[in-house]
Amino acid sequence: MDYYLSVATFAGLNVILALSLNLISGFCGQVSLGHAAFYGLGAYAAALCSVAGLPMGVSVAVGMLVAGGFGIVTGFAALRVREDFLAIVTMGVGFLFLGAVRKQAWLGAEMGIAKIPSPLDKWGYAALAIGGAVAVLLLSLHVRRSWMGRAFGAVAQDEDAARSIGVDVSGYKIAAFFIGTAAAGLAGGIYAHMTQLVVPDAFNFVQSVTILAMVVVGGIGSTLGVVAGAVLLTLMPEMFRFINDYKLLVYGGLLLLVMRFSPEGLAGLVHRVTGRRLA
Amino acid sequence: MLEGVGLGIAFGGVRAVNGVNLRVERGELAGLIGPNGAGKTTLLRLLTGVLAPEAGSVRFEGKDVTRVPIHRRAQLGFVLTHQIVRPFREMTLLENVMVAAASEVTRRPWRALASVEVWPARQRALALLERLGIADAADKPAHSVPLGYLKRMQVARALALEPRLLMLDEPLAGLNYTEAARFADLIVQLNAEGTTIVLVEHNLGEVTRIAGRLLVLHNGAILAEGEPREVMARKDVRDAYLGVQAAHA
Amino acid sequence: MFYLELLLVGLVWGCTYAMMALGLTLVYGLLRILHVAQATVFTLGAYVGLLVANHTGSLAGAFVAAALAAGLLGPLVYRFIYRPILDKPPFVALVASIGLLIAMEDGFRLLFGPYGLSFAKNTWFTTAVGFGGLSLNLVQVWIAVAAVVLLSLFALFATRTRAGVAWRATVSDPSIAESFGVGVSGVRHTSFFIASVLAGVAGVLVGLLNNLVEPGMGSVISYKGLAIIVLGGLGNVPGTLLASLLLGVVESFGTVYLGKLLDRDAIAFLFLILVLMIRPQGLLGKAR
Ligand SMILES: Nc1ncnc2c1ncn2[C@@H]1O[C@H](COP(=O)(O)OP(=O)(O)OP(=O)(O)O)[C@@H](O)[C@H]1O
Ligand SMILES: [Mg+2]
Repeated sequence: MDYYLSVATFAGLNVILALSLNLISGFCGQVSLGHAAFYGLGAYAAALCSVAGLPMGVSVAVGMLVAGGFGIVTGFAALRVREDFLAIVTMGVGFLFLGAVRKQAWLGAEMGIAKIPSPLDKWGYAALAIGGAVAVLLLSLHVRRSWMGRAFGAVAQDEDAARSIGVDVSGYKIAAFFIGTAAAGLAGGIYAHMTQLVVPDAFNFVQSVTILAMVVVGGIGSTLGVVAGAVLLTLMPEMFRFINDYKLLVYGGLLLLVMRFSPEGLAGLVHRVTGRRLA
Repeated sequence: MLEGVGLGIAFGGVRAVNGVNLRVERGELAGLIGPNGAGKTTLLRLLTGVLAPEAGSVRFEGKDVTRVPIHRRAQLGFVLTHQIVRPFREMTLLENVMVAAASEVTRRPWRALASVEVWPARQRALALLERLGIADAADKPAHSVPLGYLKRMQVARALALEPRLLMLDEPLAGLNYTEAARFADLIVQLNAEGTTIVLVEHNLGEVTRIAGRLLVLHNGAILAEGEPREVMARKDVRDAYLGVQAAHA
Repeated sequence: MFYLELLLVGLVWGCTYAMMALGLTLVYGLLRILHVAQATVFTLGAYVGLLVANHTGSLAGAFVAAALAAGLLGPLVYRFIYRPILDKPPFVALVASIGLLIAMEDGFRLLFGPYGLSFAKNTWFTTAVGFGGLSLNLVQVWIAVAAVVLLSLFALFATRTRAGVAWRATVSDPSIAESFGVGVSGVRHTSFFIASVLAGVAGVLVGLLNNLVEPGMGSVISYKGLAIIVLGGLGNVPGTLLASLLLGVVESFGTVYLGKLLDRDAIAFLFLILVLMIRPQGLLGKAR
């Protein structure tokens, strides 16, 4: 049972991470190759708070705010640079986070932060992660239906045209980064308490790419597709044990094949087969 | 209503616009003409804030807006349509216009997040598409319709913002003779309803027919301005056009 | 003296970056693709070079074999991965490229083991060269020599040969080049070939420099290569070379002065971010 609960928890966390990246990259069109940094910021901030004696709820909230705060800073960077430049800058943000954390004694350097208090049992974390995933899912569906979603679409498709019809492009980019990174911080806070240990390597470039893989395999921009992608990529290594030894080979290969043969991901396949667009 | 003072910008040595002063009065329909490369598009971009001027300033309804960002100017009622069409390619024509029609709501991200009501914007957008005669393609994605439709959609999108000053960059280009004439009539109508309009056009027949006043731009400077027929009769204006044609031949 | 040594070490690193980044710029200039998977080509070059050197004992043979293997792989990547998705949004090729890199890195691990291999005999590594009171090892000297020679050859090719001129025409406007009878496809394959040969040779050199060839050796250098071409002003060759050397030197001084706060990679990317915030178009890029 414990095993299934922990798989369910990770599936929930991955859904949160993938949906939050989808909000930034899929809805608002701002490529980010450093999403794991915000996951890590949330985890580290929550871990510090909990170790200092704050209750878990407060710690997780602080984690979200810290991640969202740095997200806003990154959003400002996205106002200066676009597209390929932005992709590399966000990748740089990821490396900067890692390289800074690795050197800070007060963050435990390479050893990270251990002995984080863990007030819940396995059921509790699974419920929390899945509850969080459902909340972010509902938020995504709502954003898509609201005027914010349409304005995001305008920003993603043509920034200059969006400006000339009165859309505050900068405001929307920053909003997208704030919402998306704060949600990633939520995942980080839950993760830190569940595992009771955070180390820098859990938030490296490969982790960023893994989140991105979930988004593109599901179909960038499609909420339901991205949920499916996240669940699928979480379960696959569990279902086929042998995959675990070749996890990166499979992830990398899958990214490559999806981009090469069906760049719209699972959502694109559904569209082609049924003629219907997923939300 | 709009006043540009000493506007100038250069692109790597080419002085595209050079010390231009111009005034647009409330309620007028002004034509801005000039040979290819004269700097008309660049001047409009300077006025609307797409480009930041290297020299000079822009005043709109008495307020200095030189440093005001484009989207704020659009919200103030000062709107530009681009010479090269810029649709939101993945949206339908209707959705393209709806985003503009809802600009009250989309102005602030948080307000936009709180609102899911589409009907008012949808109704207004549909009415505008009908007015421009492209309602039949309302539900087609922008990347799949012909240029003439996109040009008109762009004007509908601009009108959805309820502009007080509308700057149109070659709206007639790419339309056939009857389409162009009908479109020109629409521009006159809009102007009669109270929208001040600046029209950049190469279709000299239509501009001289509908504009109340003509400005001629040549090599980045105002060469002539005044009553359309008088301006068109001036020798220097004819030479400016012919000179370019001779150089092109 | 200490500063001079830091500068020199930094410049040597800059030379390896340059060999990597020049290829990335070529590809970007032609196709607007951030070719991360060049790391795979680099690592392949290093492994092939190492295997040949350890079996035959000939370093010259190692370089030739590495250049050939790399020069074969690059154009294949273009043909079978990038070419079919050129008309898709830019992130598609980038993500495909990252996927290939990650998969191949794991592939190298499965083939050659996770811990890396060393050269059986690496005399360059153990030979110190006095250099006006400074001491470098012979690998570092060869890196500098190789970079200068290969990059000069490239400059000659680009400015003096028909193929080079065709290449530059294609970079500035593919459709016009085509109408003048330039074979765009050939130019693209050639560019991938050149980029890959440079990367393969750089792979062997870096393997010699660390006396270690490991599965992940290409990734960080390739991410930095991307940082460099962005820094230089995407698709701008002189900018790329300038940025390579600059980044090498910044890292070498940065690790000394900021080493307590940030690691080497973080210093490189911090520098990138700072420069881009001030000049969003890169050092020598044109403002848009
Ligand atoms: N972004 C730019 N970068 C470099 N040069 C530019 C740029 N925009 C315009 N120019 C140059 O400025 C000059 C004026 O161009 P502009 O587009 O304003 O002319 P125009 O009067 O609108 O011409 P047309 O009638 O062909 O639309 C031209 O020489 C053009 O090449
Ligand atoms: Mg023009």
